[in-house]
Amino acid sequence: MSDRLIPVMGLFDSEKKAASAITALKKSPFRLERVYSPIPGHNLTKALDLSKSKVGWFTLFGGITGFFTGFLLAIFTATRWELIVSGKPIMALVPFFIVGFEFTILFAVFGNVVGLITQMKLPTFKVPSAYDPRTTYDRFGILATCTSTKQHELTEFFAIRGGEVRVFEA
Amino acid sequence: MATTRSENILSNKSKLFTRLFIAFTLIGALIFIIQAKGAYPEKAWQAFLINFLLFSAISQGGMLFATLMHTVKAKWSEPLTGLAESLAAFFPVSLVLFCLLFLGKKYLFPWLGTDLHGKEVWLDLPFLFTRDLVSLIILYGLGISYLYHALYFKVDSNFNVNGLRGFLIRRWQKKPLKIERFRKRMTVLAILYMLAFTLTLSLLGYDLVMSMDPHWYSTLFGAYSFVKAVYVGLGAIIILAVLLHLNPDNNFKVKKSHLHDITKLFFAFCLVWADFFYAQFVVIWYGNIPEETSYIIERTMHAPWNTLAWIVFTVCFIAPFLILINQKIKTIPKAMLIICSVVIGGIWLEHFLLLGPVYYPEATSLPFHLVDVAVTLGFLGLQALLVTRYLKVFPELMATPKEVC
Repeated sequence: MSDRLIPVMGLFDSEKKAASAITALKKSPFRLERVYSPIPGHNLTKALDLSKSKVGWFTLFGGITGFFTGFLLAIFTATRWELIVSGKPIMALVPFFIVGFEFTILFAVFGNVVGLITQMKLPTFKVPSAYDPRTTYDRFGILATCTSTKQHELTEFFAIRGGEVRVFEA
Repeated sequence: MATTRSENILSNKSKLFTRLFIAFTLIGALIFIIQAKGAYPEKAWQAFLINFLLFSAISQGGMLFATLMHTVKAKWSEPLTGLAESLAAFFPVSLVLFCLLFLGKKYLFPWLGTDLHGKEVWLDLPFLFTRDLVSLIILYGLGISYLYHALYFKVDSNFNVNGLRGFLIRRWQKKPLKIERFRKRMTVLAILYMLAFTLTLSLLGYDLVMSMDPHWYSTLFGAYSFVKAVYVGLGAIIILAVLLHLNPDNNFKVKKSHLHDITKLFFAFCLVWADFFYAQFVVIWYGNIPEETSYIIERTMHAPWNTLAWIVFTVCFIAPFLILINQKIKTIPKAMLIICSVVIGGIWLEHFLLLGPVYYPEATSLPFHLVDVAVTLGFLGLQALLVTRYLKVFPELMATPKEVC
C-alpha cells in the first residue's frame, strides 16, 4: 500500500510560476507526470524541454504530395477530352502550375491537420482520473506523483511556489 | 598602454577597409572611363546602368524596411532598422550617378531616332530624364527627411559633436521640439516615402529597363521592379547585419530570433518576386500575342540567353525557396550571408538578362566583359564606403540592442 504513488497537482495562475515549478520539480526526487496548460507558451515548452514537434513534416509531405497531385489531376482531366483551345497544347504546364500551387496549399493544410490529430493523440474519450477542469480555463496544472510518505513534502513544494494544491485518490 | 595598442590595431584595420573600398571605387571608375573613352563605349555604359539600377534598388529597398517597420510600429526589428537606414547613405551619390547616365544617352537608349509608333511623347529624352530626376529627388528628399527625424531618437547628443553629426545635434538643440509632433511627422514621412518608393521604382523600371525594348510592354513591370528592390534590400540588410555580427571589433550582435524573423521576410519576398514574374509570364503565355511574346521567347528560349534565364530563376527562386524552407538554416549567420549574396548576384544577372538582348542582339555566347566586373566592384566599393562612413559617424545605429520585449 505504501509504495503506491499518489498523484498531486499544483495549480498555478501564471505561466512563469508554473515554468519555474517545473524546472525545480525536475531537480527534485518527485516524478513529473503531466502538465496541463490552457494556452501554449514558450516558457513552458522551454521548461519541459520537449523534443521538436513533428507536425511540420506532415505539412511538408502534404504540400509535396499536393503539388504533384494538382499537376496530375490537371493532366488527367485534360487528356480525357483532348480539345485544343486557342492553339495551346493539351498538356499546358504553364497554367497547370496554378492548379499545382493551389493543391500544394490544400494538401499542406490536410497534412497539417492530420499531423495535429495524430501527434496530439486525439480523440481522447476518457477523462484522466487526476484532472482539474480549471486547467482549460485559467490555471496551469502540474501533476506529479510521490509515495504516500513523501506526500506532505510534495504539497509543501507546490505551496511555497505559489500554487494551489490538489491531492487525488491513488 | 594595452588599450591604446588594441585601439591602434582597430583603427588600422578600419583604415585598411576604407582604403580597400576606395581602391575598389577607383579601379571601377578607372576601367569605366577607359572603356567609355575607348572603342566600345556602349559596354561601359550598359554595365553602369545595370549597377546603377541594382545598387540604387539596394539602398532604396533597405530604407523601405526602416520606414515600413516604423509605420507598423514593429518592435522586433529595432536593432536592424538602424542598419537599414545606413544603406540610405547611398542616396545622394545615386542621384549624381543618375545624372551621369545622361552622358551615356547615346549608348543607352536604342530607340533614339527610331520610329516609335505613337510613343514619341513618352519616350522623349528630356522628358524622360526630367521626370525620373524629379521623382528621384522626391524619393530621396523624403527618405533623408525621414532619416533626420529617425536620427533624433537614436543619436546621443553628448558625444562627438563634429561635422554632420554636430550640425544635426546643434540644430535639434536650437529648436526645442515637441517629441510627439516629431514622431507623428516621422510617421507621415515614412508613409510618403513608401508611396514615393512604389511610384519612383515603377517609373525607373518602365523608363530604364522596359523602354529599352520600346515595342514590348507589360503592365506589371513597374510593380515587379519595386518588389525586386525590396527583395535585394532585405538581402543587403541581412548581409550587413551578419558582417557586423561576425566582426568582433564592434559590439553589434544580432539575436538568433531577430535574424530568423528578417530571413523569414526575405524568404517571403523570394516568393513575392517569383509570383510577380509568374503573374506576368502566364498572362503573356495565354494571350500569345507576338508583340508580347517575342520579348519572353528571346530571353527564355533562344541561346545564349535561355541558359542565363534558367540560372537567374534557379538562383533567385528555386534554390533559395528549397533551402529556406529549413528553419535552422535561417538562423545561421554565415549560411544567410552566402545565400543573400548569391541572390543579389542573381538579381544582377537578371538585370543583365532583361537588358542584354537589346544591346547584344547578335550574341552567340553570354557577352560578359571585364568592364562589367570592374564597374560592379566600383559600385560595391562605393556603397560599402558610404555605409561604413555613415555607421562611423552615427555608431548608435549599430549599438547592441537593449532587450526588446
